[in-house]
Amino acid sequence: MGLLEDKARARLFYKYLSTVYDTINPFVWNDRMRNQALEWFDADRDDRVLDVGSGTGFATEGLLNHVDEVYALDQSVDQMEHAFAKFGKRGKVTFHRGDAERLPFKDDTFDKVWSSGSIEYWPDPVAALREFNRVTKPGGTVLVVGPDYPKNRVFQRLADAIMLFYDAEEAERMFREAGFEEMDHYVQQRAPGTPRAITTVARATDADAADAADGRSESSASGRLSRIPFL
Amino acid sequence: MKESLLDIICCPLDKHDLELTVEERDEEDGEIVEGLLVCTDCGEEYPIEEGIPNLLPPDMRE
Repeated sequence: MGLLEDKARARLFYKYLSTVYDTINPFVWNDRMRNQALEWFDADRDDRVLDVGSGTGFATEGLLNHVDEVYALDQSVDQMEHAFAKFGKRGKVTFHRGDAERLPFKDDTFDKVWSSGSIEYWPDPVAALREFNRVTKPGGTVLVVGPDYPKNRVFQRLADAIMLFYDAEEAERMFREAGFEEMDHYVQQRAPGTPRAITTVARATDADAADAADGRSESSASGRLSRIPFL
Repeated sequence: MKESLLDIICCPLDKHDLELTVEERDEEDGEIVEGLLVCTDCGEEYPIEEGIPNLLPPDMRE
């Protein structure tokens, strides 16, 4: 299946998701887990922060408790409408429509980049992580929250059929392939038996220097994972 | 969209600068309501729709 076809399917999936997202999201990742992740993120008030896959604004709201301004990016305007209702279109949040794998920002623009509940829908997560590294200042924090690969076999089958789930080992491999060298992985769970979330907190590297050293990054076809096969 | 955003945004495809054409500006705060962002290198056009820049690559637009 070609990349474009994958993306068209992902888009269709989003459209469906935006109608149920606020209902299912709290079961996986709640305020307490978000606030813990915000502590790991450790942003200063005047940091320039990007929220990738900002969606309905659940994480953006938490980020605004720590920073004065947030730059939000999402591909779906359907989801963004919910965020407009919460923060207004022109206030502390600056909105953009865009693709996580092809970010519309210049190199080293942000002090920190945050993305939660979004990586599982990206057709090529390594390409997106490489973009995060590029737009973050060297040494800045990149934090990504995704769904941890379930231990329960019924959930595993569901996971394999619907979207990307990964464990700490897979997260380590994806982040390293995207050029990151320093990172920590944390697993969070709302309650025993519920789906777990995995958070990776990585330090951005000097992406330009790395590219100059070993040539422009190769295609990341090897980093692509199959998902949503039935859509 | 604030005009100062041009300092940090770029073409998502080739990362070159964007040139702004304003079609409608808010009279009170000067924000751009409707307009066009054009890549200074590849010429790809990105619309500003109801104040929000649509920087999705062309293959991802509806």
